[in-house]
Amino acid sequence: MNEIQSRGRQSHGFWAEAWARFRRKPLAMAALVFVAMLAAVAVLAPAIAGTKPVLCRYKGRLYAPCLGYFDRRLEPTVFAKDRFRGTYPKNLAEKDPDSWAIWPLVFQDPYRAVRENEWPGRPANPAKDEGRPSRINLFGTDQYGVDVFAKMVHGTTIALLVGVVSMGLAGTIGIIVGALGGYFGGWVDMLTSRITEIVMCVPTLVLILAVIAIVEKPTIWKTMAIIGATGWTGIARLTRGEFLRLRQSEFVTAARAAGAGPVRIMLRHILPNALAPVLVPITFGIASAILTESALSFLGFGPPPPAASWGSLLNDARSNLSMWWLVVFPGVAIFLTVLAYNLIGEGLQEVTDPRLREARK
Amino acid sequence: MTQPLVDVVGLETHFPVRKGLLRREVGAVRAVDGVSFSVERGRTLGLVGESGCGKTTVGRSILRLVEPTGGSVRFDGRDVLATGGADLRGLRRRMQIVFQDPYGSLNPRMKVRSILEEGLIIHRLGGADDRLERMTRALARTGLTAAALDRYPHEFSGGQRQRIAIARAIVIEPDFLVLDEPISALDVSIQAQVVNLLVELREQLGLTYLFISHDLSVVEYVSDDVAVMYLGRIVERAPAARLYAEPLHPYTLALFSAVPSVEPGRRRRRIVLTGDVPSPARPPSGCRFHPRCPLAEQVCRQVEPPATVIDGHAVHCHVAARELQQAGGDAAVAAARMAALMAPTAASASPAAV
Repeated sequence: MNEIQSRGRQSHGFWAEAWARFRRKPLAMAALVFVAMLAAVAVLAPAIAGTKPVLCRYKGRLYAPCLGYFDRRLEPTVFAKDRFRGTYPKNLAEKDPDSWAIWPLVFQDPYRAVRENEWPGRPANPAKDEGRPSRINLFGTDQYGVDVFAKMVHGTTIALLVGVVSMGLAGTIGIIVGALGGYFGGWVDMLTSRITEIVMCVPTLVLILAVIAIVEKPTIWKTMAIIGATGWTGIARLTRGEFLRLRQSEFVTAARAAGAGPVRIMLRHILPNALAPVLVPITFGIASAILTESALSFLGFGPPPPAASWGSLLNDARSNLSMWWLVVFPGVAIFLTVLAYNLIGEGLQEVTDPRLREARK
Repeated sequence: MTQPLVDVVGLETHFPVRKGLLRREVGAVRAVDGVSFSVERGRTLGLVGESGCGKTTVGRSILRLVEPTGGSVRFDGRDVLATGGADLRGLRRRMQIVFQDPYGSLNPRMKVRSILEEGLIIHRLGGADDRLERMTRALARTGLTAAALDRYPHEFSGGQRQRIAIARAIVIEPDFLVLDEPISALDVSIQAQVVNLLVELREQLGLTYLFISHDLSVVEYVSDDVAVMYLGRIVERAPAARLYAEPLHPYTLALFSAVPSVEPGRRRRRIVLTGDVPSPARPPSGCRFHPRCPLAEQVCRQVEPPATVIDGHAVHCHVAARELQQAGGDAAVAAARMAALMAPTAASASPAAV
């Protein structure tokens, strides 16, 4: 019995071990790194592409006008008062010769075309169908001359938020509904199962289109809410199955013998064991939510302008198919992101499902 | 005779069989169908029988882990089946269970600390410091140290896990333990260790056991009294030594004859039963054992045999009752007669049959 004490190594829980196995999967890891990179791009978007300085010194004070990309109100009012009109490089130099600024990596704006000489010595963005990719416009420009790269960088937030927020909502609803049905069984299960089936019959895309037609101000948040409110059925079914299975397990019986009540049993005993298999469809759900949003935007029901999601860029391409760069770059971005989430989901499944795992000690 | 700690009378646990769209109840599996016994404080009742006979359900019904459908269970004078809520929780502190499979009975996501602590938290036993002491003590009693607290169940071997399961059961200081095949899933080399541990704990902590097993020799070693179950009923019950020396029920005889003997010279004659165990959903009329009993008579098919009790040795069998009567109540003589009656079937049985 003493071998236990002599073994000094750190004791690893289920998730630590799953992570160790996940790290050994090159594809899944690459996908995870890709998503992490996208998250970084989303957060740092104003510093990657924009026309507002990341940081500047103006009339003796430091400002970060780039925050205006997150929210208009975060842009220092000084610049509006001094009539910059959103054009920083020239104004900064003219109105305060001592000023300096750190600019975004790419001087392009996601909401408007860059004009001639706005950046010293640089021509205006080409408009119409002439804005093919170049050194200045990496991914080309759309028919109004707005830089596609800048649009895509600033659209990353939407792409990621759509997935995470809608599946966060769907996961919460699905786990609660599934847990109640699976644990209590009987009429509770009957009720939750029927509700699940009814919701399952609702075609998400059509519902969203209908809602957008009705509500006054369609925002991306409302779209996410609908995707979440209709996308929980698969998760609920899986959670129900896991709860049904685990409810019969001996450690749950042991917990009942110890006097544990239903809440404690569900939260402490069943849920931690049911979480891994449920996380997998949530990950896949993120991928499909991104696709749904792209499809909506493509149909022209995306976020209201000027905000642009990747899908709405594809929509722009419809009017002029010769502008191939409007299709290829956003298309590839959507494809890669969806692929990444699917790879992560698959990896997660492989490292958490003991049946898919090879040798386990 | 003092008041028994556990007193079970006519316990019935039927599982409904539902069919069709409306899930109408079309019948019931009578897993436990009228079981009575009592266990006195500090003693061990062994419960034996083949798989599916309902012995596990008996254990779980007593703890209300499955809801019994009839009968009564009294624990220390209190009606277990009538309590609920806080009262039931209080009773559960005093009655614990150790399961067969130490791989299934420990939550794989919890450290041993959380597993042991849970009962203490639920029953509000001790403060944080005190809890650690209690857990360490329980682990020490089962042959583990406090180092085990910060490990997960999968880091232990089967025997060690079963020790953890036993520690979980005793950490809240119960009076009564249901041991549901506690060694059947373990390696043979470990079984003896765990059995000895259980016997030690019984002496040290003054525990009362219901020891459920299909391993006849272990039951003989551990138990004071032994009850033999067949198809949801107890067919024979006696003090361990008496039962093993003078088995009276044909089923008990068949069961004992199946135990391999270690003495090479003394070859036991095997009594081979024909047919399968009937479904507990449709138990046979009369004596439940009659379709497989080589001694079955007309009366066995029609009348359920009542208990015949001789000096604490109870048997439910028409034939055995008659033999006992003819032997003038001498169980030893009757047991010899029963064995002789069973013998011809043993001789003609083919060795391949089970």
